[in-house]
Amino acid sequence: MGLYENMLTEPISRLALRQAITVEPELSVRDAVLRMREKKLGCVIVIDGQQKPLGMFTEAMLRIKLIESRGILDDSVQNHMARQFPLAQADDPIVTVLELMQAENHRFVCVVDQAGKIVGLTGQKGLMEYIADHFPQLVMTQRAGAKPPLTDREGA
Amino acid sequence: MAEQSYPDPDKFQDPLENYEPRVYADDLERALAEEPVAAIHAQPFIAIAADTPVHAALEKLVGRDIASTLVVDEQQHLVGIFSDRDALDKVALEYDAVKDQPVSEVMTKNPVVVREDDSSAAALCVMAAAGYRHVPVLSADDKIVGIVSPHRVVDFLQKHFQKDD
Repeated sequence: MGLYENMLTEPISRLALRQAITVEPELSVRDAVLRMREKKLGCVIVIDGQQKPLGMFTEAMLRIKLIESRGILDDSVQNHMARQFPLAQADDPIVTVLELMQAENHRFVCVVDQAGKIVGLTGQKGLMEYIADHFPQLVMTQRAGAKPPLTDREGA
Repeated sequence: MAEQSYPDPDKFQDPLENYEPRVYADDLERALAEEPVAAIHAQPFIAIAADTPVHAALEKLVGRDIASTLVVDEQQHLVGIFSDRDALDKVALEYDAVKDQPVSEVMTKNPVVVREDDSSAAALCVMAAAGYRHVPVLSADDKIVGIVSPHRVVDFLQKHFQKDD
């Protein structure tokens, strides 16, 4: 089976999901930024009392807000999060991630279980790792980041 | 002096006569192996000077609705990349202190690059193995050709998946 067939049949839970940073709606943007820095992750998921996702706040939103309004850092994150964001169930096919990323131009997809609770986070990195996993000899052996190939003969 | 002997042309065997081209499972696998990075469409791209103030670099990202910009020296050679992640890690909480500093102070220096004639798999390698989201594309003589972004890679994947449909 090719990669595409696998992406149509294998569930999102097959991807290496990252643990989402979940925060309360009242948390300040400043503290959200600190948590994103600490976990080296580009977004936080804002959750309600039942641990269900209410919104997503990403580094891309932060970039825009920094220019629009300097006072946001002490405001609560719920006032600046996106209430519409990519959401998929863990048993949805992996191709769903690709479709969500393309349709909504987001890097992150929040993954939930059937009860709507957060299971993890995936997106561009998870997808790239999945593809690399399929073609390890093709992808993982690349001469990436190296000097360009020689155009002249080396040595005498 | 020994006499030179040559192979009998009637007995010559083409070393490639049994060559069979590689068979790929699908069009994406073929594209990853055979198509160069250029097939991912690395353009357009934005490049700013290394002495651009941080606030101006940020405004450029917002104005163009892009997540990263290349940073170049006076000879237009790549010296770094300034992205959303740099803004998160080094600017967001320090904005007033760094907004007038040159972007070279907060950019990611010496980013991992790919060459325009590398296979498209090389760009995915940088993203999957090294974890970089934006990968500058350079020519063999170090001129900037473009940048590969997550969105462009997703478009590339979709294009080759559609061919399989």
